[in-house]
Amino acid sequence: MVHNFKTDLTVDWCPGCGDFGIVTSITQALTELNLDPKGVVAVSGIGCSGKTPHYLNIAGAHTLHGRSIPYATGVKLSNPKLKVIVTGGDGDMLSIGAGHFVAEGRRNSGLTIMVYDNEVYGLTKGQAAPTMSFGEQTKSLTKANIFGKLNPIALALSAGYSMVARGFSFDMKQLKEIIKTAIMHEGSTVIDILQPCPTYNNINTMEWYKQRVYKLEDDKSWNPIVSVEDDAKTAGDKFANAMTKALEWGDKIPTGIFYQNKTIPPFTKRLAKNVPNYLEVTPAEQRIATADGYTVVDPKETFADKIIS
Amino acid sequence: MKTVDISITIGGPQGGGIDTSSNMISRAFAYSGYNVFGVREYHSNIKGRHSYTHMRVKKERPRSLRYPLDFLVALDPDTIFEHIEDVGKGTRIIYDNSIEKSDLSQARMIMKDTSDRIRHELEHSGEPMTVSGTINLMKKMGGIPIPVPFADIVQKAISGGVPSRYYNTLGAALTLAISGVDVKFLEESIRFVFSSKEQVVEENVSVVKAAYDYCQDNNFRTDNLEEIKRTPRYLLTGNDGGAIGKIMGGLRFQTYYPITPASDESTIIEEHEDLKWISSENAKLAKSGIAVVQTEDEISAIAMASGAAITGTRSATATSGPGFSLMAEAISFAGIDEIPIVITLYQRGGPSTGLPTRNGQSDLLFALNTGHGEFPRMVISSGDVEECIYDSMNALNYAQRYQLPVIHLIDKNLANTSDFIPEIDARKVKVPYVARIVHSPEWRRYSLNTDTGISEFGVFGKDIFWMTGDEHDELGHVTEDSELRDRMMVKRFRKLEVAASEIPMSEKAILYGPENADVTFVTWGSQKGPILDVMDILAKEGKKCNLLYLKMFQPFPSEFVKDILSKSKMVIDVESNMLGQAANVIRLNTGIEITRRILKYNGRHMTEDEILEASRTIMGTNQEKIEVVLKHGA
Repeated sequence: MVHNFKTDLTVDWCPGCGDFGIVTSITQALTELNLDPKGVVAVSGIGCSGKTPHYLNIAGAHTLHGRSIPYATGVKLSNPKLKVIVTGGDGDMLSIGAGHFVAEGRRNSGLTIMVYDNEVYGLTKGQAAPTMSFGEQTKSLTKANIFGKLNPIALALSAGYSMVARGFSFDMKQLKEIIKTAIMHEGSTVIDILQPCPTYNNINTMEWYKQRVYKLEDDKSWNPIVSVEDDAKTAGDKFANAMTKALEWGDKIPTGIFYQNKTIPPFTKRLAKNVPNYLEVTPAEQRIATADGYTVVDPKETFADKIIS
Repeated sequence: MKTVDISITIGGPQGGGIDTSSNMISRAFAYSGYNVFGVREYHSNIKGRHSYTHMRVKKERPRSLRYPLDFLVALDPDTIFEHIEDVGKGTRIIYDNSIEKSDLSQARMIMKDTSDRIRHELEHSGEPMTVSGTINLMKKMGGIPIPVPFADIVQKAISGGVPSRYYNTLGAALTLAISGVDVKFLEESIRFVFSSKEQVVEENVSVVKAAYDYCQDNNFRTDNLEEIKRTPRYLLTGNDGGAIGKIMGGLRFQTYYPITPASDESTIIEEHEDLKWISSENAKLAKSGIAVVQTEDEISAIAMASGAAITGTRSATATSGPGFSLMAEAISFAGIDEIPIVITLYQRGGPSTGLPTRNGQSDLLFALNTGHGEFPRMVISSGDVEECIYDSMNALNYAQRYQLPVIHLIDKNLANTSDFIPEIDARKVKVPYVARIVHSPEWRRYSLNTDTGISEFGVFGKDIFWMTGDEHDELGHVTEDSELRDRMMVKRFRKLEVAASEIPMSEKAILYGPENADVTFVTWGSQKGPILDVMDILAKEGKKCNLLYLKMFQPFPSEFVKDILSKSKMVIDVESNMLGQAANVIRLNTGIEITRRILKYNGRHMTEDEILEASRTIMGTNQEKIEVVLKHGA
């Protein structure tokens, strides 16, 4: 029987919310990849996006505001055999959790990170999120936004993410394919997902986005993939192309895969160089006790360097 | 023969090899069969400021330090200036005679207020503001100056290079020569300390021989030190103890963000991540190591360790006050989501950055209340290096058994205590074997169908279930149902009652000494050793004392404590904080107020002599409410 990746919980997002398209894209991606439902884990932070794990029929942790990445990293690094997807809002990922967002780029643990980008804090009644443009005034703001706009794609590239992409919640076909590529990608991916907040963002609406988005992959010469065959110059050019595309915003907004570098070793492989048999017998699978219930560790041998004999 | 009991302080600039020097001294005494107990004191500084190690050597294992010193070994002028108070009758002061003219005003690395105090003291004694003036003052206090031409001795001994690089070895050698330690033992320590560098070994051995010759040529009076049969022992710090206990207790994932004095523990775990298994049978299964991850901050450290815990990995983090403050929200999450997680909290002097490299016990009340909302947690504390080992094992066990955050308190003084441990007993604390299993579809992660409040644990990777910081149903989905909320709260707190009933009293509180006593001391953490030593001294004087030593603060052994304190004639609380935090916990749980207190919050370790003197003051007065604040310490 095919596993239903959707739970039967009542979804309490607003009608017309972009989140629906994201959840559908995730469940379709998981179904098409035919993954063991117990081999995938969803971790989220707080806010509307944070509810996502409850709607997915896989193990899920709905954690703290801004902290989904470290919780997810703990899951991944203690059991590298698991596929871990992370969902969070723009505020969750890029404001309160920005430090973790940047740090994970350096680690490249192997997380699929989805940023629900609607430029507002929905659940707390529409305050400006870090992705809102300077001077913009959505309907619940008393004054126009006096913060500058943060660029999630450029930030993710700078932080060192080995895969960076953008999707649009109303293009589920493209988003699903991006998610599939990201889940199968060894390192960590950031997917910036443009979506309307029909309740609080009356500027960046579905129509607004639909008029502007275009697909990078529609240009047949677009090749964002860096592989071992590429020399340093080619690899550098691909990163520069991604950065150039990252800066495009306004009348035209690119979606699709900006960058995918397959040559950056994931953190799990880096750890495996130090920790014996880390990938074969993961920390989550190790024996810690003998059958009669005592430590497996021999203190005399393990701490021999501490003995004065 | 006189009982061997030697108190030594060796001091010099940070980065000047004080650690190496005290290591040489410890080892040489160890090779002679003796036990050494030491504490490291240092500034929040990489190079230049004053640091020292205070040690005590005995045949039996020392449990405390004491003043006045028998040896003050100064590798620089600052050490002479900073340690005036440590000198008493018979203190031998070993120093470089070329620093005699050094003026206090040139000792720029001494903190201004410390310098002002020293100036005031020298002025008061009528001595000039120089090393020789200070030495004169020390002489008046009973000290015996031993000026030594450091540069001359070293220069003659080495083939070239900077002589001051060998001053730490020279200081150790002079101390050991005068103490009567056979030169062969110091040579052996040097070979160990510089094991991989043959050239360095030879140069240092040469300096050692020159130092011994110098003492002989100048007819220095040396002590007779009886050589005792040596036995293998572990030389461990409190940080080592924490790391070893975690490793033996099944830890397989540790996170940390660098902070003094906690990060040493993580480094030690990382050094020993390649585990050696106990029997050859297990060796077949021994495909393991421990993942240690340095995180971007302490929020990430606790969150990452929690994430690892939910895959069934025994996980922990280690931090100090400032980092622990950042962990508050995630500890609350671990509480509501019943995540087995251990936080080893190495306490230092607060508030804020406070005294970042100094001792403190001011985080007890915070540990008991960290995080918003009401949730069960356990708070335990260790008082010596061996306790650090076994308590760390227990902490992991408690976290797993009761599915909650366990906060393990170790004070800085203990973290930086080095002690000789005869044995690490792999069978002292059980490590319950828990298989990570796939449950049937009827299984509920937060099942309310439990008498103990403990629902059957499941892990990500085996089962599908949910977790949320919101109040939740048995599956782990969000609920705001008023009745379910009540049932979940009761279920979670039930675990603490079960923990209280299952854990033996010896892990919660211990009464040392006779049941009926004239004086009952109350303490926790690293004052245990010095108080036990004080009790021995007082016992010889006919004073019957006992010690109520606290190890577990949540769940708190209220009845046991109440029973002892209500029978006591005089109770003295001893803590390294200003508010008497443990005494406050006792009052909260038992209604008993302890009005006699010995407190210290200047960041320095409590010594036997200080506690003894303060105890005598309290015993000698009719005052029922009295607080003695201890002040000693460079």
